[in-house]
Amino acid sequence: MYALLITQFLRSKTVILAFGIVLVLGVLSISTGKQFLNQKQVAVEKTIAHQKKHLETQLSFHKDDIGLLSYYIKFSFINPVRPLAGISIGQSDVNSHIQSVGIVALEGQKHNTDLVNPMRLQVGNLDFSFLIIFLFPLVIIALTFNLLSEEEEIGTWKMITIHAKSTFRFLLLKLSMRLLFVFGVMILLFLAAKIILDIPFTGDFMAMCILSSCYILFWFALCLFVVFLRKSSNTNAIVLLASWLVLVVFLPVLVNNYITNSYPIGEAYTMAIKQRDAYHEKWDTDKIATYEKFYAHYPHLRKYGMETEGFNWVWYYAMQQLGDDDSKEEREAMYAKIKKRELLSRKIARFFPPLKVQLSMNDIAKTSLTQHVDFLDATTKFHEKIRLDLYPKVFEKQDPSSIAWEKYQPEFFKPTNEFSLGKSIVPMLLIVVLLVGFSVFRNLKYFS
Amino acid sequence: MKAQIVILIAKQFFKKTFNSKGLLVLWCVFLMALAYVTITGWQAFEEQHHIIGHHQEESRASWDNNPDKHPHRMAHFGSFAFREQHPLRIFDSGIENYTGNAVFLEAHQQNTANFSQVSLSTGLIRFGDLNIAMLLQIILPLIIFFVGYASITSERMNGTLKIIYLQGANMKAILLGKTLGLFLITCLFFIPALVALWSISFLEHDIINSQIATRSTYITIAYTLFFMLLCCITVIISATSENSNKALLSVLGLWLLLFIIIPKTAQVLGNYLYPNPSKIEFRTAIEEEVSKTGDSHNPDDPYFNKLRDSVLSVHKVTDVKELPFNYSGFIMSKGEKQTALIYNREHKLLIDKYRDQNSIAKNLVWLNPYLAVKEISMGLSSTDFDTYVNFLSQTEAYRYKQSQYMNELQMKYISNKAKGSEGKVHVIDSSLWKSFPDFKYEYISISDTLSNKLMAIVVLIIWLLLVVGGMLLFSNRFKIS
Repeated sequence: MYALLITQFLRSKTVILAFGIVLVLGVLSISTGKQFLNQKQVAVEKTIAHQKKHLETQLSFHKDDIGLLSYYIKFSFINPVRPLAGISIGQSDVNSHIQSVGIVALEGQKHNTDLVNPMRLQVGNLDFSFLIIFLFPLVIIALTFNLLSEEEEIGTWKMITIHAKSTFRFLLLKLSMRLLFVFGVMILLFLAAKIILDIPFTGDFMAMCILSSCYILFWFALCLFVVFLRKSSNTNAIVLLASWLVLVVFLPVLVNNYITNSYPIGEAYTMAIKQRDAYHEKWDTDKIATYEKFYAHYPHLRKYGMETEGFNWVWYYAMQQLGDDDSKEEREAMYAKIKKRELLSRKIARFFPPLKVQLSMNDIAKTSLTQHVDFLDATTKFHEKIRLDLYPKVFEKQDPSSIAWEKYQPEFFKPTNEFSLGKSIVPMLLIVVLLVGFSVFRNLKYFS
Repeated sequence: MKAQIVILIAKQFFKKTFNSKGLLVLWCVFLMALAYVTITGWQAFEEQHHIIGHHQEESRASWDNNPDKHPHRMAHFGSFAFREQHPLRIFDSGIENYTGNAVFLEAHQQNTANFSQVSLSTGLIRFGDLNIAMLLQIILPLIIFFVGYASITSERMNGTLKIIYLQGANMKAILLGKTLGLFLITCLFFIPALVALWSISFLEHDIINSQIATRSTYITIAYTLFFMLLCCITVIISATSENSNKALLSVLGLWLLLFIIIPKTAQVLGNYLYPNPSKIEFRTAIEEEVSKTGDSHNPDDPYFNKLRDSVLSVHKVTDVKELPFNYSGFIMSKGEKQTALIYNREHKLLIDKYRDQNSIAKNLVWLNPYLAVKEISMGLSSTDFDTYVNFLSQTEAYRYKQSQYMNELQMKYISNKAKGSEGKVHVIDSSLWKSFPDFKYEYISISDTLSNKLMAIVVLIIWLLLVVGGMLLFSNRFKIS
């Protein structure tokens, strides 16, 4: 009987159509990921080449003034995009993954955005995570909404109740076939993604597969729940599509809207203005006070003295640094707001699988906002390292040609890993068990 | 006589649907969502309006409060341009969340527009934005499909279609009547949304240059056409389907295709076919171009050396210090002109690339009326791509003017023997920059928007004419039983 069921299943138009659409969009989504990774990779290579050339050019322009030279040169700090980002692009297309910073005040430099078409951002990426979160539920709905009702409507259900040993087993067979089909397609696409995007077979890749599987199970459980309410096919279709609409389309935008409106980030502008003003006002204020503040931050530089007559680079870079130092409060206020947004997102997402899966996938792929904030923090450290390295050279007026510039290579950011798979999937699995348990329990009387 | 029948059928459909429990629930949920979206959207707009205004003022106040100083110091002090939002963004936020909100405008350097909402948000923002237009563009069409899919099939399956036909109503009247009835139901949802739209227009009309009433009128017309079209399509699908099941599957499939899959795929395909340069490529291209034509920061640049020699010979002097104006101010103004030209050229190439990326979705309006109404709605709400590009070019124009103004001041007032900008020696009076006007953002004019969106508008009208025409012409081909 199983063979017959399979033939019947594979012959239905819905299956062929669903398979076709998923396959086409799957190819498109993996190519999107591939293109994204390639672009990022090319950008990294170009950055490395550019930094070398850039240093050479600037060196030839400012042969005898290291202060001026240091003003112009920029150093790159790179957040390497991992192959997994091709599966879940997340926020990594908006937020610049390469920082090019000079030793002047950092805050004016590090928030520069990447070049990206806002229309594309609005429509959203069609990456593999989108396919899983958005499209797979639709396929599952299309395959299961009339699992039972169709048999009842065309009158075959009565025959089955007479012929089959157990109607429950029969339905289970039908359902398992669909489950196998969907999982098969998912695994196929994951394998394709793995090969095309060059993803190493690591725990993170497995975590993504497991997360996706749980999500698919969730949708099967929901469909099963609705199917076992034993309503007509039309009602099932409407109810399931409406749940999809609410869970995948409406709730996420509602939640995001709520978060954005709860925490408007005006602090970002305050910080930008404050940083500009704090630096520029130093041109007209007491030079000694500027020096004192700067040396309070970096006591070991105090030996460079406090020259007040005319222009000198110690004073200039001290002013620049104080632009950052004096806007610290505003900056922290901004990051505090971002943290709040992040926390609220996670809190709400716990209850809604689509949100949870999206955030978790971004976490695994290191394409989340947290990740970017970490990168920005690391940029601040990188900037400080470069500054403290160049300060003595500039303050001692070393000859630019005496410095080994070739050792200033772009550096790479190393992200930390703190994703917990258990926390992401346990609530989801709990919902699955509840839904399945409830629907089976309700229908016990029908099944022999 | 015929009109009477059409109205009768429409009334009957309306009453029958209106009295069903499901619709009432749906209506209440929709109204609640609408109220929530309008109120929170409005609050967010007011808040943002306040934040932007406050910061624009604060930024200007500290510009004004600068003590007398060297003009080049002011050129680097720079100013901020904050993007003022159009009140209709409460209705349709378009790409607002994805575009930068603040640009720092200083000499020698074109900064990016930063602090977009999306760059300060978690991954959830990528699901989209919630606003009135989203309810009208995505949710209401689905409601229309749900309400209307069985409009003809159920009558046919009950056998009542035959009875209506026998009583003298021809198929034309039945189709028209059902469409009208469905449209009336749609109005139950649409009119509250219009109330929201027009209350925004009335209460926010004092914002200068917003042309808000005209914009709202066009928006109203566009959505009305769109919903009429959808009602016709739903009834036609119902009439051509064998039974309600098939009609339902058809409309659901159609909804997914038109509203979710095609728009997304089109944009992704556009990006795939026309990849835009990365920031590093963009910057390198500009740098290379600048060093080719002449880099004012290079002390041995041939172009600027030649320029110096020609200036010296015109003024019949041998050293730049003897010139009657400040030479470094002069060089900076030439350099600024040079790089601004190159930057603008490269930036235009980038924007054209974006336009190419968008072109696929833009041309698909011929096949997908949703894309058409989306284009029109965003454009008229001043939240579309053109508006953003317009904002960027306004900021760059202001930046250029500000830098050149400071260069002029330097040429005019600063001694040619000045060594630097430090200290209280070579300074000019602060009133000179206080008189320089603040950045004022102008919305794109409505006539420009309309001409940009002409294709989308024409498409909507053609679609409606074709569908209504087709329905009436081929009405006798629809089966009665």
